[in-house]
Amino acid sequence: MTIRTYTKSILLAALVTLSLGGFLLHGRIHPVSEDPVHFIPLISGLLSILVIPLLFSFRKTIEYGYVLNGMVVIIGTIAMAHLSIVYWPAPATVGSIILKTTLADIVILWGKFFIGKALFDLEFYGYDPGKTKKGKTYRYPNLGWWLIHLAAISLVYLLGNLLWRHV
Amino acid sequence: MKRFKLFSLNWWLLHLLAIAFFFYLGHAVHF
Repeated sequence: MTIRTYTKSILLAALVTLSLGGFLLHGRIHPVSEDPVHFIPLISGLLSILVIPLLFSFRKTIEYGYVLNGMVVIIGTIAMAHLSIVYWPAPATVGSIILKTTLADIVILWGKFFIGKALFDLEFYGYDPGKTKKGKTYRYPNLGWWLIHLAAISLVYLLGNLLWRHV
Repeated sequence: MKRFKLFSLNWWLLHLLAIAFFFYLGHAVHF
């Protein structure tokens, strides 16, 4: 086994175990039978455990895995932030915002994003330790591109939530 | 991602679809 295959397997295992943990945790906290909204973590979880690792496994589909993984993380971030805003801790102190919101869950979720980023970067930039990283930060597939998408998707979601209300 | 080059027809279609999806998601999710 080459170091490339070995490292890739370790990162794929990290991706699956982290996703499985999140999936089971969501299943325990809020089962789908309670509210259709809970389909979001169910579908995201199934995608993260089954589809995304498969897409990451082949060079031809790795880019789709990378984008889908990031998008699932963004959806999770927005949905969990939305939940925390609705159930904002009172009184809102620095401590309660850090410990009594979904901030911790969002931070864990971003760990999954960075595992995907490592998988992608190792495949595309190679394992040469002396190689310098090139490209503009705000262009795909760099982190600035993700930041722009996080902001843009949050805005579209917010507009959908505020402008298109249930009657 | 050559299939989705910046401002190509595929790029616009993907973004329109994504905007519609996330707008709907914002509407559908209420806690």
